[in-house]
Amino acid sequence: MTDAALTFPTAEPEGLQVAFVGKRGALFWLAFKTGFWTILTLGFYRFWMKTRMRRWYWSAIRPGGHPMEYVGDPLEKLLGFFIAVVILTFYLGIVNLLLMFVSFSVFSSASLGYLASFAGVIPLWFYARYRARRYVLARTRWRGVRFGLEKGAWGYAWRACLHWMVTIASLGVLWPRMTFWLEKYVTDRTYFGSARLHQGGGWTMLYRAAVPFAVSLLVLGTGALWLFWIDPVVVSADITLEGVTRSFDEMMDGGAPAMPVVGIERLLIFPLGFLGLIYGAIHYRFVSRRILADHKSSEGISLASRLSGPRVVSIYVLGNFIAYLVLVLGVVALVLGAIGTFGAGVLLGVDVGPLSLGWDLPQGLGIAMFAMFYLTIFLMWNVLYNTFVTYPLMRHMANTLSLPTRYGLRYVSQRARDEFAEAEGFAEALDLGAAI
Amino acid sequence: MSTGFDAFGSAYFDGDRPVSQEISLHIANGNLQIGLDDGNTLFWPVKDIRVLPDSAGRQGRMLRMINEPLARLFVTDHSLIAHLPNATRAAPPKGRGRLAAWAMAAVAAVALQIAVLVPLLADRLAVFIPPAGERALGEATFDQIRKALDETGLAPLPVCENPAGLDALAQMAAALNGVDGAAGLSVQVLDHEMVNAFALPGGFVVIFRGLIDQAETPDEVAAVLAHEIGHVVSRDPTRHALRSAGSIGVLGLLLGDFAGGAAVLVLAERLISANYSQQAETDADAFGHARLEAANVSPAALGSMFERLRAEYGDGNALMAHFLSHPSLSDRIENARAATDENGDYAPILDDAGWADLQAVCD
Repeated sequence: MTDAALTFPTAEPEGLQVAFVGKRGALFWLAFKTGFWTILTLGFYRFWMKTRMRRWYWSAIRPGGHPMEYVGDPLEKLLGFFIAVVILTFYLGIVNLLLMFVSFSVFSSASLGYLASFAGVIPLWFYARYRARRYVLARTRWRGVRFGLEKGAWGYAWRACLHWMVTIASLGVLWPRMTFWLEKYVTDRTYFGSARLHQGGGWTMLYRAAVPFAVSLLVLGTGALWLFWIDPVVVSADITLEGVTRSFDEMMDGGAPAMPVVGIERLLIFPLGFLGLIYGAIHYRFVSRRILADHKSSEGISLASRLSGPRVVSIYVLGNFIAYLVLVLGVVALVLGAIGTFGAGVLLGVDVGPLSLGWDLPQGLGIAMFAMFYLTIFLMWNVLYNTFVTYPLMRHMANTLSLPTRYGLRYVSQRARDEFAEAEGFAEALDLGAAI
Repeated sequence: MSTGFDAFGSAYFDGDRPVSQEISLHIANGNLQIGLDDGNTLFWPVKDIRVLPDSAGRQGRMLRMINEPLARLFVTDHSLIAHLPNATRAAPPKGRGRLAAWAMAAVAAVALQIAVLVPLLADRLAVFIPPAGERALGEATFDQIRKALDETGLAPLPVCENPAGLDALAQMAAALNGVDGAAGLSVQVLDHEMVNAFALPGGFVVIFRGLIDQAETPDEVAAVLAHEIGHVVSRDPTRHALRSAGSIGVLGLLLGDFAGGAAVLVLAERLISANYSQQAETDADAFGHARLEAANVSPAALGSMFERLRAEYGDGNALMAHFLSHPSLSDRIENARAATDENGDYAPILDDAGWADLQAVCD
C-alpha cells in the first residue's frame, strides 16, 4: 500500500504506526566505539559521536516503516562550538570578572557574584536550548522532507524566564501552565515541510499528569501533620535534637529509646512519600509530553501517543540502576587493571585528592592521566546511559506513537534549508547536556 | 546485462513530497534504474550512490545519490548494496576554510582574553577593592584551596594550631613586616607536605608544613615569608584572584562537557603556584631582601635553601614545583647573594627554642 494510490482524500487511509527497529547491542557498540575515540581525541570527537548516535537513533525510528534521517554534520557542530567560544569567552571572562569585582568591593562576599554570574547565564541557557532544537529539527528529515523551526530564540528565552518566575511565585502550582505555553511556543513554530504544526488543548489538561506527584505531596504533608502534631511519634513534652539523636543511637544498638515513642513504624511513610515524589516527577515529565503530543496536529495530520507512565518510570529507574551498577563495576575493573599494569604507586596519584596527584610524577603527565581517567568515567557513563536509559525510552516512545490522521501528508512539500552557522554551539558550550 | 531486485516494500521519495512511490529496481549499464508508477524511469549511476551511514536495524536501507541532495531511495533488498562500489565513501567535507578561520578566531579570542584583557582589567580593578572586600576574597580562596587540597574527602585541609609554634611564627612575621608593613597580615601554616608557600588577597600568607620541614634554619623560612609579604604589599594576589575569576569561566567553556571539577582543579592549582609576572617576582625578592636586612637576617638564606633542594632532588622534581618553575632560579640565588652584606653581622631570626616551636607547629 502506498500513499500515491490514495486518490480520494475523503476515503480516510488507516493511520501510520511508528516503529523502532534498532538493536541495543548495536547501539552499545556504536556508543562505545565513538566514546573511545572521544577519549583519545580529548573530547574533540564528541561532535562526531553525537552526530553518529543521532543518525542511528533517527534511522531506528520509522513512521510508516520509513526511517527518519539526521543530516547534521559534525564539522558544522565543531564550527558552531568555535563560534560560541568566541562569543562566550568575552561574556564569561569579562562579565564574571566585573561581577566578582563588584561583589567583593560592595558586598565583601563571593556568593553574590556567583549568584549574579549564574543568573546572567539563565536567559542564555534558554536561548541556547531553543537554538539547539531549531538546529536539530532543521537537520531532521522524513521521507526526504525537512523539518524546521522558525526563528524566535530570544522570544523563547524571555518567555521562559517569566514563566519560571510565575511558577516559583506560585510554589509550583502553575508548573503545568509553564510546560504548556513553552511547548506551544515551540510547537506552533515547528514545520514539517510546508505544513505547520499546531499545539491544541489548554494548560489545565496537564494537571492530569501531575496527579501522582500531587498525591505523594499530600501523603507527605498529612503524614507529617499526623506524626508530629495530631498523634506524635515521640510522646514527650520537650523534644531536643540531642534527645532525638540519643534515642536513635540507642535504637540502633537494639536498646529501648530514651524517649517514649508510639508507633515508630509509621515513620515509614516518609521514605515511601519521597519515592512517590520521584515517581510523580518522572511521570509528569513524560505523561505531560504524551498529552501534549495527543493535541498536536497539522492540516490533515494528527499525532497520538499511548505512552505509559508506569512503564517509562520503570525504564528510568531500572535503567539508571543498571547503568550505575555497570559503571561501578567498570571503575573497579579499570582501577584493578591499572594497578596490575603500572603497580599501585601510580594509581595512588589518581586516587588521592585531585591536586596532590602527580606531585611525584612530572606535573603535566599527572594532570593528563587524571584528565584521561575523568574522561573515561564520564564517557563510560554516557555509553551506559544511552544503552540502558535512552535506548529503551526512545523505543517505548516511538512504539507508542502513531499518526491516526495523515491524508494531509499529500499536500506537504519541501521547505528551504535552514543554514545555521553556529549549529548547537551555544548549547554545547554551555553544557546543556541534552544528548539527544 | 541487467540485474533485477526485489522492490517489495521499497520506496522512492522525490525530495519534495513525503509520499512514497512504489518502484521497480534494476541495475543495467552502470546505472540503477528506478521505475516509477507514472512510467518514468530514473537513472542513478551506481558509483554515485551512497548508503546513509550509522543506520539502525537490518530492515531496509536508505540510499542517496550525490548529485541529488534531497531525493531518497528506501530499499529492502540488501543484495543491491553489494552492487554499489562507493556505497560507504564519505562525502568530501565542505567549508574547511571557514572552519579553520573560526577555529583560529576561537583560539585567538581565548588567548586574547586570558593573556591580555583579563589581566589588564584585573590589574586596573585590583587597586579599587576596599580592604574588607580583599579580606573576604582571601578568605573565600583560602577555603577553596583547603578543600581542593584535602585528600580524605571529609574536611578541609587542617590549619596547624600549636600555640607555641604560632607565637614563633608571629614573632618572625612581626620582625619582617616592620611597623609600616602590610596591614592585617595573617600568616598560617597548612598541614601538607608540599614544599611551598603562597600569598592570598587581604594579607593572607600561607606556608605549607613541607617547607618548614625542609628548611634547615629559621632564616630560610623567614626568607620565603619575606618574599610572600612582598607580594601582599604590592597586592599581587588580589590581581591574580581577579584574573582567575575571569579565566575560570573561559576554561570551563573550553573543557566543555568534561569541566565541572576540572576547572576548579585548575583554578586551585593556579592560585597556589601563582605565576606572577617576572617583574612582580623580582620586586617581591627585592622587597624580601630589604626586609631581611632590616630584621638583621642574611638574605642569602633564600638562595641557600633553593640550592640545597636542587642538589637534593634535582631540577625536575615536582616536590618543589613552585620554586623551581621560576625560570630565573639561578638569577634569584645570585641576587640573594648579591643582596648580602659580606661583612654583615647577621643573627638568626628565631632563637633555638623558637625554631623548635615553629618546627612543631603542626603537632
